Formats: sequence, C-alpha cells, structure tokens
Amino acid sequence: MKKLLVILLAVLTVMSFAKVYFASTQMVPAEERAFLLSELSKFTKESGIKVELLSMSYSDILARVEAEQKTGKVKVGLIGHLQGGLYLMASKGFLQDLSDVSFPGRTFLLEKYAYVNGKKIFIPWLQATYVMVVNKEAFKYLPKGLTKEDVINGTEKWTYDALYEWAKNLYNKTGRPLLGFPMGPGGLWHRFLHGYIYPSFTGAQAIKFDSVRAVEMWEYMKKLMVYVHPSSSTWDKMDEPLMRGEVWIAWDHTARIKQAIVNMPEKFVVVPVPRGPMGRGYIIVLVGLAVPNNAPNKEEIIKLIDYLTSPEVQVDILKNVGFFPVVKEASGAIPEGALKVLAKGVINQSATKDGIVAFIPNLGPKGGEFTGTYREAFRRIVMEGEDPTKVVKELGEKIRKMYKETGSSLPEPDAHLY
Amino acid sequence: MVYSKTVPWLLVMPTLIFLAVFIGYPLYSAFALAFSGDTSAFETFKELFHSAMFWRALKYTLLLAVVIIPIQLTLAIALALLVNSKFKGYTFLLYIISIPLALSDVTAGLMSYTIFAPMGYLNKVLLNFGWIEHPIYFFGFMYHTREFWVIVLTEIWRATPLVFVIILAGLQSINKEYLEAADIFGFTRAQKLFKIILPLLKPSIMSALLMRTLFAFQIFGVVWMLAGRDIPVLAGETYYQYVQLNNPKMASAYGVIIAVITLVISIVYNFTLRAKHLEGGR
Repeated sequence: MKKLLVILLAVLTVMSFAKVYFASTQMVPAEERAFLLSELSKFTKESGIKVELLSMSYSDILARVEAEQKTGKVKVGLIGHLQGGLYLMASKGFLQDLSDVSFPGRTFLLEKYAYVNGKKIFIPWLQATYVMVVNKEAFKYLPKGLTKEDVINGTEKWTYDALYEWAKNLYNKTGRPLLGFPMGPGGLWHRFLHGYIYPSFTGAQAIKFDSVRAVEMWEYMKKLMVYVHPSSSTWDKMDEPLMRGEVWIAWDHTARIKQAIVNMPEKFVVVPVPRGPMGRGYIIVLVGLAVPNNAPNKEEIIKLIDYLTSPEVQVDILKNVGFFPVVKEASGAIPEGALKVLAKGVINQSATKDGIVAFIPNLGPKGGEFTGTYREAFRRIVMEGEDPTKVVKELGEKIRKMYKETGSSLPEPDAHLY
Repeated sequence: MVYSKTVPWLLVMPTLIFLAVFIGYPLYSAFALAFSGDTSAFETFKELFHSAMFWRALKYTLLLAVVIIPIQLTLAIALALLVNSKFKGYTFLLYIISIPLALSDVTAGLMSYTIFAPMGYLNKVLLNFGWIEHPIYFFGFMYHTREFWVIVLTEIWRATPLVFVIILAGLQSINKEYLEAADIFGFTRAQKLFKIILPLLKPSIMSALLMRTLFAFQIFGVVWMLAGRDIPVLAGETYYQYVQLNNPKMASAYGVIIAVITLVISIVYNFTLRAKHLEGGR
C-alpha cells in the first residue's frame, strides 16, 4: 500500500510538472508578449500545466519545427502561427490531423481554411485585418457623390478614386495633407500593396504583378501620393499620428490603430477599405494553433488550446492586443465602447459584397524578400519616378522565381484564379 | 620559473575568454555567414554590390560623417578652450554641454522629432507668431535635404560632448609653463593656439577623431527615428535586412563592410595623425 502511494505521489508530481512548449510568431512585441505570458500564467494556476512561451520569427519557427521533425526530438508541442505558414508546414508533413479535436458549445469562424487535403491542420485562434480609420472631422470634406454612409458601409461608391478626391479636397481646403499610411521601415505598408490595392486593381496579389492593370494601379498610386502626409515614410504605426491630428484618414492593422480608438472612441470611426476596379481587396490574418507530429503531452496541449480559444480569453486578447475572436460565442461578450467601434468596422468590411479576401502568402525564408519586392516597386515607381512598366516586368520575374524556388502554393485570391 | 611565466597568462585569461566568447565568436560567425552562399562564397557580396540601396546607404553614411565630424571637432575645441579659460560660471556651462552624454541616440532622435514635427514645438511657435500659415515639413520622402540637416543638427548636439570631454582633458594636461614662456616671448593668442596648444592637443584630437569617426560609421538610432529609410545608412540597412527581411547573410555582409571601412580608417588615422613627442622625440 505504501509503495502504491509513493508511486501515485511520484506520478502526480511528474504530472504537476507537465510542460508544454508553445512556439508563437504572434504577440512578439514586448507589450503583447507580456500580456500573453500573463494569460498563460493564469492557465498554469488553473490547470497546473506549465507553459514555456517561445517567441519566434516566421523563418525561425519553420527551421525549428523542421529540425525537430527530422531528428525525432520533438519539444515544441503547440505552434501559434499564420495560416499560410501552417499550410507550408502541413505540406512538408509536420503537423497532426486535429479533426477529432472539438470543444463542446464552441463555434469556430473561418474553420474551412483550417483544412488541407481533408486534414484539419490547425484550430483557428486569432484573426485580424487592416482597416481604414477616419477622424469624424474629415466627413465635412467629402467629395461630391460620396456620403458618410457610403464610407461606413463600404458601398460601391466608396472607391479608390473617391479616396483620391477626398484626400485632394482635404488638402485644398485645409492646406495640409491629411491621408496617412504606415510606410516606415517597421510599418505594414507592404501588406497594403500586396493584399489590398493589388487585388483591388488586378484581382490577384502576385500572379498579376506585371499586368496592364498593375501599371494602371501604380499610376493611381503616383497621383494619390501627392496628398499623402510626407512623414508617412517615417511612421511604423498610425495610432499616434491619428491621435496627434496629423492625419484624418489612415490605413493600418487593427492592433496598430487600436490605441487611437481606445483613447478617443468618440473622435474616430473604423471603416472598410475602398474598392478598386476588380473589387475590394482585403487581408484576413488568420492565426491558428497547430500540433506537430509526435508532440509530447498531447492532453495538456489540447487543454491549452481549449483555454486560448475560450470566449473569455478571446475577448481579453481583443482588449489587450487588438486581434479579433474566431469564436462566435465571444462576439456577444465584446463590451460597448472602443472595442465595439473597432469590431463594427471589421464586420462591415467583411460583410461587403464585393470583397476579395486575400491571405498573407508564406514563402518561408523568402517571405521577407517577397514583401521587400513590393516596397522596392513602390520606392522605384512612386518615389524615384521610374517607368512602372519596366519595374513591374523586372520585379514580376523575381516574384515568380521565388514561388518556383520555394515550391509554395499561391495564396488567395491567386489560388482561385490559377 | 614556470610559475612566473604562467601567472601573467592566468591573470589575463578571464578577459581573453570573455573577448573570445562575446566578441571573437560573434565576429567569426558574422564573417562566416557573410561568406556563405549556395553557389559561391562571394554570392552575397555580389548581390550587395548590385543593390542600389547599398550604394545609397554608403553615400549617406560617408556624407554624414564628412559633414558632422569637422563641425563637431571645431565646436568641441572651441567649447573646450572656452571652458578651460575658467571664466565665472564655467562649471554651469560644463554641465549644460554634458547633458546629452546621458541620452541615448533614440532619445535624442525622439526629442528632435518633437521639435521639428509638423505639430512640433518649432512649427507651433512659428504658427502662433503668424510667421507661417502652414506647418513646415522636415520629415518625409519629399524632404530628403531637410531630413539630412535635422539629422546633422541632432547628431552635433548629441555627440559633440563626447569629443569635448576628450579635448578638455587633453587641454587640462598641457603644461602651463609652455604658455607662460609664450607670454614672455610675446606670442599672440592665435600664435599660442596654433603653435603650442593645438600641436600638444594632437594626441587628444587623434583619440577623439578616431573614436568619433568609428561611431559615425555606425550611425543608426537618430537616422532611424527621424528618417527611417528615406536616408539609408549602412547600420540601418544591416538592421533592416536582419529584422524586416529575415536575411542574416545580407545583414552580415553589411556588418563586414562596416568593419572593413572602420579598420581602414583606423589605419589611415594612425599613420597620418600620429603625434611626435616634443621631448626626447621618436
């Protein structure tokens, strides 16, 4: 009997020290990481399961998972990564099928994107997008034919041409350029280029990089830039320029404009992006939780996934980081105020009938080169005045070469067209 | 006998190990990474030299160094001579000059931004007095020249105290007997400055110049905060390649270029500015 008790105690002791290694490419900036660590410590207190958070870059996580799978020494039990990156890992056979994993009473949004060849490779965890934020003062300067409701509801009248006229009107009436974008070296400007304006004008992110419509798009960008705040090239985030009143219309990731909405909810409204000739291109950033093959402590991992996708934690994440819930039951728990302002804009954008959903492409180690190519095109065509036809032809070849070398699959909407 | 030979090595061993682990190994790794390519060892450098951004970064790094360093040196010598004259209230001036020593380059950049931003102090003053109708823009892709001069101004304000401190220390070590003898021989102030003070200050000037030039080629924080990649510099591109583009090989190549440039400059300075001792001469 004594022996049995000792063995039981030893087992309980070992179990109480069960540890999950959670590698995440999201919530890496210091404040976001601190928030995630506090959520994970709450989980540890409740469940007794320790979690070690490994914050990683997009290329490091692939290298780490690949190395562990090849050597058979799997330590990372849970991966939190962009859907495109998880597709790449799944294509290499690194991820488990989670079709048998379910959480009663929980409805996941965007779950159809979690399946690859009939295999459920991740559980949706977070979603985000990029939106436009408008200072309500700017509505006094709308161009003819465009109303406040058109902008807020994303009607067919809310176009890039209308945005140009509005920015021009603002400049002519106030004497200041009041449209801003996060074009700084740490800004997400490249997402606007490949995920918003490219699909809106050409219908695709990459496969129509050097099309005739692409050249038309670049001509449009050249004329729009006249009315864009010049300091945009130094801004990495738009919340502070908005709060300072330096710009009245801005585009950025929801997490990077959240502070402006939270601090001044009565001053701003979040609206869908404009549409182009082919539709309203916008990115859905979908982050999933995946389990590598042969991951240890599977039961503990599932408990962690359950915790991270619970409605309460989903709303906490929205409050603290600006990523939106993927669980339907969480949307009812969003409190009134700034977060509802943010949520309304995001919902209106995804409710538009002419939306072209784009996913962030994952080219593994070539990911940086891919986004750098769009920025290079912008710099050469818009800032340095090079011939757009020549530049897109040269850089279009570079993008096709990247896809060939990595063997990556095309992201939406390109995959649909191809 | 053996004991006396090994003891010195044992005493320096901790420093050597520290240097080997924290300087030597990373240096070796950076070089190895820069010279590792899929097809050849120089593949990364070929790509680097074909990149327009590299040449722009090199141009701006050199331009900033060539403009900032002479101004800083002249200003530092002038301030050091002024403080060394020990006029009434000179200690207060010394403290004012030394304030930027406590600031990081990022802080200095942010302070500059709050002054020169469209809604910053300078524009607010000018607008309030009615001297301008619209804000003057100093930052942005259309205002390279203004961005450049704001960076120059910020760097001069931030880094001159470092040069000043070295020059002041050198000035205070000059034997007063030389200056007293010069007074007796009827030297003018200009003669004392150019015939006695500056030659004796040469070792300090050389140390200050060398240190300031090496730091000038690593200029990053102020440029990044104020101009991003509108004014590309070598250290900024190193950071951008590694952090934003996830290209450690290219980042290492930039690092190697910075290391080679600073090594060449150190050698040139050593040969051209080496001071000869006045007594006992070498």
